[in-house]
Amino acid sequence: MSAAPAMATSGPGPGSQAAALEVDGLRVCYGGLPAVDDVSLRVEPGQVAALIGETSSGKSSLALGVARLLPSSAIVTGQVEIAGTDLAELPAREARRRRASLVGYIAQDAMAALNPVIPVGRQIAELFGVHRGMHRAEAGAQAVRELARVRIDRPERVARAYPHQLSGGMRQRVMIAMAMALSPPLLIADEPTTALDVSTQAEILGLVGQLQAETGSGILWITHDMGVVAELADVVAVMYAGRIVEQGPASDLFDHPMHPYTQGLLRTRRDLRTGRPGAPLYQIEGSPPALSAQRRGCAFAPRCARRTEICTERVPELMTQDQNLQAGNGPSGASPSRPLAAAASAPGNASAADPPSSRRPLGPAGTDLLTASWLAACHHPEVSS
Amino acid sequence: MARTLIRRIAFGVIAILGVAVLAFLLEFVVPGDPARAIAPRAQSAAVLENIRIQLHLNRPLIVQFADYFGELFRGNLGTSYVQRQSVTSLIMPRLATTGWLALAGVVAEVIIGGALGILSTLYARVRAVVAAVNLTLLSLPQFVVGLVLLLIFGFRLHMAPVTGGAGPAEIVLPALTLGLVGAPWYAQIVADQMADSLASPYVRTAVAKGLPDRYILWRHVLRNVLSPAITMIGMDLGAYLSGVVTVEVVFGWPGIGLLAVDSLQNLDRPVVMGTVIVGAVAVVAFNLIADVLRMYVDPRTREEPA
Repeated sequence: MSAAPAMATSGPGPGSQAAALEVDGLRVCYGGLPAVDDVSLRVEPGQVAALIGETSSGKSSLALGVARLLPSSAIVTGQVEIAGTDLAELPAREARRRRASLVGYIAQDAMAALNPVIPVGRQIAELFGVHRGMHRAEAGAQAVRELARVRIDRPERVARAYPHQLSGGMRQRVMIAMAMALSPPLLIADEPTTALDVSTQAEILGLVGQLQAETGSGILWITHDMGVVAELADVVAVMYAGRIVEQGPASDLFDHPMHPYTQGLLRTRRDLRTGRPGAPLYQIEGSPPALSAQRRGCAFAPRCARRTEICTERVPELMTQDQNLQAGNGPSGASPSRPLAAAASAPGNASAADPPSSRRPLGPAGTDLLTASWLAACHHPEVSS
Repeated sequence: MARTLIRRIAFGVIAILGVAVLAFLLEFVVPGDPARAIAPRAQSAAVLENIRIQLHLNRPLIVQFADYFGELFRGNLGTSYVQRQSVTSLIMPRLATTGWLALAGVVAEVIIGGALGILSTLYARVRAVVAAVNLTLLSLPQFVVGLVLLLIFGFRLHMAPVTGGAGPAEIVLPALTLGLVGAPWYAQIVADQMADSLASPYVRTAVAKGLPDRYILWRHVLRNVLSPAITMIGMDLGAYLSGVVTVEVVFGWPGIGLLAVDSLQNLDRPVVMGTVIVGAVAVVAFNLIADVLRMYVDPRTREEPA
């Protein structure tokens, strides 16, 4: 396997070298409600980007939206480029043909994600049949090699097994083999270790690390497990209520979390590791807002220990570790504070609560997170299903 | 798997015996005197009494019961009161005739129902039409569907024979009747299973793998529909073999159902018992066959229960 950049040249983006994944302003709406709200992120070839957040923070919708795997009832807007290619711009047939070569998807529950009535070897082999034009025997032999590649003992035997006959760890290896079979430049792993016991989890993490070193794919690893993040991730994005609230290199984010939510997440983990026996664990008060909840201002504000009046009125800028920005709207410990630009109203928005005079704050990564725009986008999608 | 099979067969034998006992007892609840049915004009009490003695009808119920089941275990279904012929030799040709009709009926059901189910799942536009067709067919009794078909294709268009019989031309309308009346069940099960399957993570995986839609439909979705469909086919074959009475009466199809009706009217108890027992055997046998086939298409059902 050659070095990663070779793969990234398959579809050069305008002017720059293509990232494994480049997401710009992605929004996923279900019935007019945004599950993913204006998310932008970038995964370089050979990088593991972790996306962390609680259940229903929009992580999986983001993953499926990126791979264009959502049902047509979900409205997806924004731009997603995988190795320089935007699947949404291709004709349906072409997009289908190229998808598996561009992005491998590792699902959370391998038992459900594998067809129960087809032997797993066959399920891998059909990739080579359809995409590489291999004959049945040839594709079957290739599938056995793919199983060996994910360190499965006696791959010939496993290839003939049905999903229910394998252990959870084995099934997840099969999923990984399937996702990587066509050597895509991007892998999306949607909490692949959540259903596994701890030692199997460690094996899978080690395996993915090794395979990535071999192939140089970029990986978007979705999880709610800080331990997994620490183990694997180069960069981290923290998601809350459909938005990315903080992102940056993993080490920086662990050392200096800036957003109050990130700080809370890290504190829960630290307590687990170092807390005295019997001492109560730290927990973030309250629960995330429902998808249907009225949104004004910062979605985390109701749970934030440092909220001020301003929090309920506008959304803070995205926290990035590159810039030493202050977390959230409130005063924070040592980091130098910079007053936030006033929230702006989207043109044509009808909300009466908008401040009369407003400047448009430009987010660090070109992401201006406007309170009002999410509603407008969901109810007047540029792209309809 | 062998253990599962042996257990299923044992349960099947128990079920058949239960049905036989129940049928035997029920026959004595049915009012009427077989002797009078056999010799309606022989009014003399002595003649009737003589017939009763010949048929052992004068013995106590418990003795008749022991006699009958003793013979049954030796494979003897007895002799018809009316036709003076062994019940087995009466039933066997009828069973074959009904077998053809059952088979043709199930094939028609699967084709019509499967097509309706697949169409309504894949094309939202025909969904309402299919639902209406399903509801109509469900609410029509078999004899109405049969008579309508007979009127249109037999008497009006002269495309099908109307005289009764058991030839390849005569089988079309009764089979179509069974097919139309049974189709909604298959349409429903196919549509439900397909909807489940299409919404499942494994189909999402197949889509993520960039497989063509048609490939996903045939290899991934319909294989998962097969298993419940096979169960239903087995149940239907068994049920039809035990007597499609209405359809056989409407079309004059000389099968086991028609034999059962005639025998019941004549109070020909051994023949009625025979048809009931043969029907029970058919039901048990085809359910068992369906279970075995299901193990073949769905590997999850192969494992021994713990």
